Parts: sequence; structure tokens; C-alpha cells
Amino acid sequence: MANLSVNLCGVPFKNPVIAASGTFGFGREFNELYDIGTIGGVSTKGLTLEPRLGNPVPRIAESRGVILNAVGLQNPGVKHFIERDLEWLKSTGTRVIANVAGKTLDDYKNICETLDGLVDMIELNISCPNVKSGGMAFGIKPQSVEEVTRVAKSGLQKTPLIVKLSPNVESIAANAQAAENGGADCVSLINTLTGMAIDIERRKPIIANNTGGVSGAGVKPVAVRMVYEASQAVKIPVIGMGGITCAEDAIEFLMAGATAVQVGTASFTDPYAMPKIIDGLNAWCDKHGIANVTELTGVLQLNGR
Amino acid sequence: MMKDYLATIVKNERIAENIHSVTFALDEACKVRCGQFGNISLGGSHLLRRPIAVCKVDGREVTFCYQIKGEGTQKLKTLAAGTKVNVLMPLGNGFFIEEKEKKVALVGGGVGVFPLISVLREYGASKEISAYIGYRNAGAVCGVDEFEKARKFVGVTDDGSYGDKMNAVQAFEADLKKGNRPDVVLACGPTPMLRALKALVERENLTCFVSLEERMGCGIGACLVCVCDLTGGAKARVCKDGPVFNASDVSL
Repeated sequence: MANLSVNLCGVPFKNPVIAASGTFGFGREFNELYDIGTIGGVSTKGLTLEPRLGNPVPRIAESRGVILNAVGLQNPGVKHFIERDLEWLKSTGTRVIANVAGKTLDDYKNICETLDGLVDMIELNISCPNVKSGGMAFGIKPQSVEEVTRVAKSGLQKTPLIVKLSPNVESIAANAQAAENGGADCVSLINTLTGMAIDIERRKPIIANNTGGVSGAGVKPVAVRMVYEASQAVKIPVIGMGGITCAEDAIEFLMAGATAVQVGTASFTDPYAMPKIIDGLNAWCDKHGIANVTELTGVLQLNGR
Repeated sequence: MMKDYLATIVKNERIAENIHSVTFALDEACKVRCGQFGNISLGGSHLLRRPIAVCKVDGREVTFCYQIKGEGTQKLKTLAAGTKVNVLMPLGNGFFIEEKEKKVALVGGGVGVFPLISVLREYGASKEISAYIGYRNAGAVCGVDEFEKARKFVGVTDDGSYGDKMNAVQAFEADLKKGNRPDVVLACGPTPMLRALKALVERENLTCFVSLEERMGCGIGACLVCVCDLTGGAKARVCKDGPVFNASDVSL
């Protein structure tokens, strides 16, 4: 049995597999299928200060090898989460990462202050592509990434801050550096790629929001490349995600420079995807004589030219 | 209890125009309430499962009927007997008829008729059931052998090629006017049909439950993809809070 534990900004995780925000709710539903205390962490459904109703339906579509979604940050609000779900989620033994979004800089600061000290980590969603004021505006330019990170960080005394980066940008390396400069303790990437799928009979986009965030197996090579570029650009730890379906996929991200990974869409295809990835990581490490999974982070060697 | 069953296809065949029926043998027996559904894995490049209502359960064998609509159901249609797939089930709340409700009306249209067959199979012996079922045309007629087991069966079509030329709600309303008043109405079908039915039951002051359909993500209530509007302005999850709702609670 390999040692799968990792440490992110002083927070110990029993393994590097974390549920990606928006695919796992607050964990209660998946806990009906397996003990979610066995997975490293849960990044919650994106939280805002006030409850949000989200976008009209349909909110999802499938395209070969990927899905598109535009849920639009439907959530019961951060107070409801703290009162109804937080203690339960902590009691499962998994690490709790609160994913947060806002419309204004003040929103980001306020929600961080509200959650400071209550959760293990906070993940700043500055890259939701599905709401006009879902933070995407903050996530594009390096200057605004740095600014929103600095403002959010000013609301935090105790809890480490992850900044979740959008792939829909000019330079992922520049944006990762901007987050680091703004005081981020960690970056996670990639959020979804903005896409569109058309119902040709109706001559209309399938998703009511017209565009949606693309995720799933098909985005993995893009995500691995971006995780590599980001991890080369910063000293803070990187959480990698984008199309991870099996342990071998997770290992690619670790080798590209990630300390931990998040798994999202794969849980729709197979609700047991994360427990299987954890078992697979163990088996792969044992087979390859890896005693600690941390040995894999950043071992990638580029081909010579 | 919800579980990801390993299911082997026993039979997968066309039963009407654009409608197919697939029967799976599960690795163990599954207790299903009428109106619940399964989320069927298709494999390959299909990352989303397909949520389909259970039609019949017979020991370890479970039958789902589906309309060929997109790439997913096209793929499902091609899966031969012996193929193994995963089916996450039973999902959703299902239909529940209270002890005091004796006379039950089933109102169904299109592919929505199949969950009503599961109601008939569960409650056919204990309740007095009348079924009002609408099809597009004679070629689309299916499930008649099941519906004929009801106390009363009225099958109609949009073009009059089978039964009277009317829709299921009109057939139900005609019988209502003759004094055949149920204690509860259970319905499933296209949204315009459910909307017309909701207006009718509100005028007639009848209790009515409708089963809704929506594009789903996880199928278990975690992702908030398949929501519907509640009359109070809030949202509910079709997969977890439904798919069956009191018609007075939802805005259609």
C-alpha cells in the first residue's frame, strides 16, 4: 500500500483525489452510494452570499467525449450551507473546500470572511462561464485575477485560498502568476472551456443559455498542457483537473506538476469513479515501486529537440 | 436501495414506431416503486447516462421502454442481447397512491405511457384503475396488452387511426363529464399535455400527480442540472425531488 496522502498549504489530505465543484453537491447524494470520507476532499457546489436560482433548462448537453453544462451557480446561499451542510460534510472525514463566487469584489471579500476558519480551504471561482456576473469577468485578465485574489485574501486570516483558473484566457501561465502575486496559496485548473452544441432540427443551441462549459474526457490533453504550463510558472501548489476518468489520467496530471487532482464529469458516467481512481492510484504506485504519491508530482521530462 | 447494477441485456426490440423496449437481467433483484427510473450507461464516447423510466420488474428482470430521439438512444437500440451495461437504480420518488384513494385515473401520452404501466402492475389488483392513453397514430400504439388489464382502458390517437380522434386529456375529460370521477389522477407525457391536464384538474378540484422529464447530469440530485420550477418560485430537482410531483406544486 503506497502512501497516498498529500499536503496542500498545510492542510493534510488522505489522498489527492478531490470531488470537483458543481458535480458533487455538498456530498450527501454520493454518500448514499459510498462513504465519501474515503475521498481526499470535496469542493462544494459554488456558493454565493445570497441564494441563486441559476439558468433555465435545458442545462446540459452531450457531445462526443465531452459534456456541456450551464447550471448558472444555482445554490442555497452560503449561510444555508453553513447551517445545514457544513458540519455533516466535515463529519464524514473528507476535507471541505468551499467553492465561492461573487458579482463584485466586495462579494468575494464578504464570502471569504464568512467562511474563514470554518472550512479547510476556499476555492475562488473567478471563471464560471455560465453567468454574466459569475466571476468570469475577474478571471480573464491577469490584472483582474491578481486584484480579486488580493481582495479575497484580505478577508481571510486562517483558511488557505485556492484560485480556480479559467482556460479561456490568453496565457494560463500569466494568470497563474497573477493569482500567486495576489496572495493565492494554491491554484486549481482547468475550469470548463466555453462551448456550444446545436440541435440542427431546431436550429438552436441545445442548452437554454446557448453556451455552456465543456468538460469530460475529451478536454484532458488541453488541461494537462495547461497544468504543466501553470505549474512551471508558480511556486505554490497546483490542483489539476479536466477530463480525469481513471488513475492513469490522474497520474498524468501529477506528473505534469499537480499535487492533487479534482474529478467531476467522470462521476456522472460512473458514480464510483473517485473510489476507483484512488484504488487505481494505489495499485499503480505499488506496481511501480512508488512509496509516496508525492514522488510523482512534476516528474515529467520533456522530449529533447 | 440505489445501486449501480451490472445488467445483461436479455431482449432489445422495436415495439412501435420509434419506440423500443429493452429488458435487462440484473446481477441481483432490485426493489422498484412504480414511476422510478434507472440511469443507463452507454459506454464509449457517451459520458452521460440515459435516464429512463422503469416499465416492468419481474424478479431480476427489468424492462425499460424508450423513444429513439438522439445519438444515445440510437446507440442503446443497437446493443444486442448479452451486452453488459451498468444501470444505476432505482432513482427518484415514484408514484404513491394513498390507502383512501380507491379510484385512480392514469392519463398518459407518447413515451410517457410506460411509467403508467408500472403503476398498473403495482396497483392494478388493489385499486380501481381507468387508463386514458393518447398516441400519435395507430403505428405508435403500444402497451395495450398491459392497459387492457385496467378496469377501463380508453386508447385514442391524434389522427383517429386508432380509437377516437382526440388526446388523452380530452378522453379523460369526456369520461369525467359522464360522472367517472377519480380520487387521484396520475399522469406522464409531453409538457403541453401535462399543462392541459393541470388546468383541467385545477378546474375540477382533483388531486393529480405528474411525472416530469428533463435532461439530467448525475441522476441522483447532486449536480442541479435537471430542475423544474415550483409554483412558489423555487426550483426542485426532477431526478431526486421528483420525477413525480403534485401538479399543484409545479409550474409547467
